[in-house]
Amino acid sequence: MEINTRWLKTDVLVIGGGTAGTMAGIKAKQANPDGDVLILEKANIRRSGAIAMGMDGVNTAVIPGHSTPEQYVREVTIANDGIVNQKAVLQTGKLGYETIQELESWGVKFQKDEQGDYDLKQVHRVGKYVLPMPEGKDLKPILTRQVKRHKVNVTNRVMATRVIVRDGRAIGAIGFDVRTGDFVVIQAKAVILCTGACGRLGLPASGYLYGTYENPTNAGDGYSMAYHAGAELSNLECYQINPLIKDYNGPACAYVASPFGAHTVNAEGHRFISCDYWSGQMMLEVWKELNSGKGPIQLKMTHLDEDTIAEIESILWANERPSRERFHAGRGENYRTHGIEMNVSEIGLCSGHSASGVWVNEQAETTVPGLYAAGDMASVPHNYMIGAFVYGRLAGENAVTYSRDIEHLQPDPDFLEAEKQRIFAPLTRPNGIPHTQVEYKLRRFVNDYLQPPKVDHKMEIGLNSFVNYQATLEQMGARDPHELMRCMEVHFIRDCAEMAARSSLYRRESRWGLYHYRVDYPEKNDQEWFCHTHLKKDESQTMTLFKRSVEPYIIPVDLNKEIYDVAVR
Amino acid sequence: MALAFQRVDVPVIVDESKCLEKCTACIEVCPLDVLAKNPETGKAYMKYDECWFCLPCEKECPTNAITVQIPFLLR
Amino acid sequence: MSDELDPWLEMLKSEEVSDRLVAIKTLQHLGDEAALDPLIAALKDENSTVQKLAITALWELANPDAVPALLECLTSPDQGVRSEAQSALGELVSLDHLLKLLDALHSDNFHLQLNSLLLLRKIHDAQALPYILPFFQSDQVELREAAITTLRYLNQVERCFPALVTVSDPSEVVRRSAVLTLGHLYDPEVIPRLNQSLICDPDWQVRRNAAQSLAIHADLTSMSALKTALEDEHWQVRKAALQTLQKMPDEQLIPALIKAVADEYSDVRKEAAIALGNFTNPTAMPLAHGYVLAALQQALDDPDREVSIRAERAIQKIQASKQKI
Repeated sequence: MEINTRWLKTDVLVIGGGTAGTMAGIKAKQANPDGDVLILEKANIRRSGAIAMGMDGVNTAVIPGHSTPEQYVREVTIANDGIVNQKAVLQTGKLGYETIQELESWGVKFQKDEQGDYDLKQVHRVGKYVLPMPEGKDLKPILTRQVKRHKVNVTNRVMATRVIVRDGRAIGAIGFDVRTGDFVVIQAKAVILCTGACGRLGLPASGYLYGTYENPTNAGDGYSMAYHAGAELSNLECYQINPLIKDYNGPACAYVASPFGAHTVNAEGHRFISCDYWSGQMMLEVWKELNSGKGPIQLKMTHLDEDTIAEIESILWANERPSRERFHAGRGENYRTHGIEMNVSEIGLCSGHSASGVWVNEQAETTVPGLYAAGDMASVPHNYMIGAFVYGRLAGENAVTYSRDIEHLQPDPDFLEAEKQRIFAPLTRPNGIPHTQVEYKLRRFVNDYLQPPKVDHKMEIGLNSFVNYQATLEQMGARDPHELMRCMEVHFIRDCAEMAARSSLYRRESRWGLYHYRVDYPEKNDQEWFCHTHLKKDESQTMTLFKRSVEPYIIPVDLNKEIYDVAVR
Repeated sequence: MALAFQRVDVPVIVDESKCLEKCTACIEVCPLDVLAKNPETGKAYMKYDECWFCLPCEKECPTNAITVQIPFLLR
Repeated sequence: MSDELDPWLEMLKSEEVSDRLVAIKTLQHLGDEAALDPLIAALKDENSTVQKLAITALWELANPDAVPALLECLTSPDQGVRSEAQSALGELVSLDHLLKLLDALHSDNFHLQLNSLLLLRKIHDAQALPYILPFFQSDQVELREAAITTLRYLNQVERCFPALVTVSDPSEVVRRSAVLTLGHLYDPEVIPRLNQSLICDPDWQVRRNAAQSLAIHADLTSMSALKTALEDEHWQVRKAALQTLQKMPDEQLIPALIKAVADEYSDVRKEAAIALGNFTNPTAMPLAHGYVLAALQQALDDPDREVSIRAERAIQKIQASKQKI
């Protein structure tokens, strides 16, 4: 098989051109305009990643006068049951406002009131953090424009598969062009991973592999790459599980609709959520209600007037997931007369909404020198979009500082050759099992064995099947570079499944509400488990798990007094 | 190994009477890279049933030739 | 011009509309500043789709030099072109364009006038005030509504006597906005007018908006009107009145608030519970106070969790203040 190799060289390599990645690229250029910065993107940065069609609002805007960074850190500490690196969370609290202002100067529209002040909405019971963006659909083109203005280089349609590590530091990446099939080797002085969440882990109830909450291209690429590079990952047992419109699997956007008066209610039409903040505890309440006989739950607007509903629709149907409108139309559903049925999603790994990610400190550094991570894949709990921008910035700026006085290193040719064989193997088996079937079964196993409530025996069966699935992957076949991309994604998904299973079996307690609700250890056990669960690849190339203590708090929070009340009366 | 080939209903519909042969807007913006040009007709079509129904293809098409349906399994 | 752009700029001159469409689309995606002038020229293409795409491309380039040309697009007979231009201008206008917009108000093109009124909201500059006043008397309801709404976006305007007439406008659409604008004005007639609207206007949205504006003023002379509003036939008016009363706790209203905690609508019950939590001085009316606590205790069992949580917090608030005495 003739494989053409392309060699690229840059100073700072950003893998993934979404929220965090575009910001990382821009900031790296601002820090050193003469440096070479390259964004490597699997799709096209214009419409890639979680915010491909924009975002309807900011969930974590810390605006002076409405909240403080300290309050924000306290909220997140409580929401994540105390297991946070407060210094890392504080960065988002501190730098978020500057980020919003800078985005505005680039043309991003945040909702303002008549005086021209940010029009924050009270959605959480405590604190005002929700800032709508009714014209959020233009986010990616705006970011793309800034990437271009700052002269960041962009290579679209190339997917990275491995970070190259030499002499204990990250020196580049390997990938391939998903259209031409070229093998691509990129040398860099620093590498920033911004590949988003692992949104293709569990199988959606619909059975459609791509009917996921996250952009399905976010297949856990960075989680797997970081793992193979030897970096530590954190709290992978803290799954992402979201409350979504059933079947459509998109967000119900209660954050948008509730300031207008929409309610999330049970089948009797009553609100039932006690939790103040979107968290695993809230998801546990939702799950309990769904299974209580008072389910299913719904987003209800039938009590509202025509003008209000029309306004909600105009926001929801222009941004983030604009196909909602036709989903409802197809079902004959109308917000004026129908509640919209909601459900809990399949599981994923994400630190934007939850806390599972590649471990980073407050400078976006992973445990591998020269390797940074930002966005949904970097473990700063509840970071959302603003956190992705903040950490993209930190990663970009720090990567430039780090790379100032170091040189490129040549990658090990054996490593390159081995990876090339691994990547292109499916093309040598054009009649091999199609990736669709291989992926479907893998993700169904994830549902069968890992979906909370977590049961030890099931997780052990699951772990075993994921380990054995390595052999199944070797039967997978592909007929063109596009299918090859899907095959490599299945590899990433398998890695994430195994990591999720091992982490879940490691933490012998329940924590984070539904996210790690472990039936065999149903109580929270702060004595033994007030710590992070870390996972990494050891010298024998296997997954090893260990505890990492929680850094001393810099902002005091008494978790015994300030728990969220999730008692279902 | 034995393979069968079967039909599958896909979400993206292209109105060929409106699709411009020289245009590749939809193909360039798809985050899942599932659209392609039919080399014989020069018209765009959905090559793989891997749709996030995100709609940039529909929104970016200069002649409104594209309609995205909700995938059948979700509808 | 660059090598990358040239073929597309050439294509933009083609006689085939399909070629021009592809050219414009590609220029949009390339996002190259050097294409600014050709894109501005394309605003005059004979095909309205080419025009629209040119507008979008200019929007994405975000170069304010395009503003004068885009303002002209507001006079296009094509609704799609006008709408796209309006969106683009919303992003591109700044204080630099104030005079152009004020000029546009003098034109006799309805769309240009209407859209300029909307764009002035992005600039917030009070110099626009004398130019928008005449529109309060316009024949066209859209212009009256736009003008009275824009008024509240002009910073540092504290009084505006001519605006008061809009509270009695024949169209409820104008009155709804007028009443919101009065929330930001301090003429002596404002509060009496708002009180009046709150109890007399036939449109419930006007009444609701009046309650919201009265919350900003939080003036005790509104108390009687707010009390009447607690019995309004529309629940959103009752809810808004309760939110306003949360800022002005008056023990005379306790019976009405207790009744509201049993309202048919959960949001009304919720706001009533919050309002009751403000009665933290039991020595003033001890009997009434007992009824407050009893009503809140009942609300703990409300089937709506939001209501019961608010009741719980209200009780805690009252009991905490008791401790201090």
